[in-house]
Amino acid sequence: MAVGRISPVTGHYVGIEVEGVQYRVFYLENGTGQPLVCQHTAGCHNHQWLGLLEDEEITGRYRVIAYDLARHGKSDPPLDREWWKEEYRLTADHFTAFIVAFCDALELEEPIFMGSSFGGNVALQLALRHPDRFKAVIPVEGADYAPGFYLDWWQHPHANAAQVCASGVWDLMAPQSPEHDRWATWFYYTQGSEAFKGDLYFYSVDHDLRGRLGEIDGERCPVVMLTGEYDYLTTPEDGRRTANAIRGAEFIEMREIGHFPMSENYPRFAQYLRQALQRIEQRTGG
Amino acid sequence: MTSATTDPVEEFRRLSDDDPELRAHGAYYSCTFLLDMEDHRFLVRMHRGRVEELVTDPEPLTAYDFAIRASADTWRGFSRRTPPPMCHGIWAATFRRGMRLEGDLLVLMQNLRCVTRQLELLRVTGPLVPAHRDTASSDS
Repeated sequence: MAVGRISPVTGHYVGIEVEGVQYRVFYLENGTGQPLVCQHTAGCHNHQWLGLLEDEEITGRYRVIAYDLARHGKSDPPLDREWWKEEYRLTADHFTAFIVAFCDALELEEPIFMGSSFGGNVALQLALRHPDRFKAVIPVEGADYAPGFYLDWWQHPHANAAQVCASGVWDLMAPQSPEHDRWATWFYYTQGSEAFKGDLYFYSVDHDLRGRLGEIDGERCPVVMLTGEYDYLTTPEDGRRTANAIRGAEFIEMREIGHFPMSENYPRFAQYLRQALQRIEQRTGG
Repeated sequence: MTSATTDPVEEFRRLSDDDPELRAHGAYYSCTFLLDMEDHRFLVRMHRGRVEELVTDPEPLTAYDFAIRASADTWRGFSRRTPPPMCHGIWAATFRRGMRLEGDLLVLMQNLRCVTRQLELLRVTGPLVPAHRDTASSDS
């Protein structure tokens, strides 16, 4: 970033209520036009979307909004609940209710929702539960089911949780991705270890759409899935299988990139994102 | 990548000891682990970020904290300059290529940052093959 240059990206807080509980949600935004709401990955925060937020080719036509889920980044845990007396375990019910409440608070009309990893999985949940609230969804690195990552190691008191979370997701990224961007993603991950395991309860346990993908109407709410070839959690085969089971869904495999495409290698991800947005424009009439 | 006259095992040791990341973050990196590469096994004894001992095909009862075991084929992919998908890390290979993490995994987790970095040095050395073997060609 050039010295003295002030980014057009702005940050705001908005108050929302989800399932009777109050939250103060931080979000970054830039651009005008079609709202494009972006969810970061588990245990991370909205800096993952900085490349997109500053991509003039996109922000010239889209209002890009990247929020921090509660307990992540600058969005605090619940404001009016003794959250420290409970174990945090994210559920599909809460996650989808949170996103809808956030979009309602910002009075977003027909937003496109895009999320990666657990954000990709919740994108599928939104297409299932709220097909009329969203113009389309872009599940990135998502699948009907993603077992195996709800692990005690993320919060083991005898290990450095920040480093275990950050280095534990290191090889979810592709070796071709720029080293500096991979380390930025690693750095973001050192900041989210208190939420990571609870997020993964949703990712690997509560999110299970096996046998239910036929209930998603990808004609009513277009679904365009993107998966990187280096993603070992939700592989391209998983993404393709999931898309094939959803009526009207499309799948795009991304080469030489992994599970955090928007932050590990934004320029490469942008090529595929443009394709996805173009498909949605074609199918929804802009 | 490696010439027939280069000993990849010694090269791995030299790269480990000279690595800027391990030197910067390895002050508490002290543990012993086994890399089981099917054709050969390598015992790596780390002390404060330096390789104290690197033994090829250690004696059967040699003790270690944890072991990382995979097929020779998976390790060959792991040791390429740009590893192919699913051979590009111990988590990826454990989920998708039958790699096995065994022993005291808490020690692995306590040292995960340094272990991850150190194993990526295999991308520079190429597959570990003992130097005393009389041919540089693959035997599997």
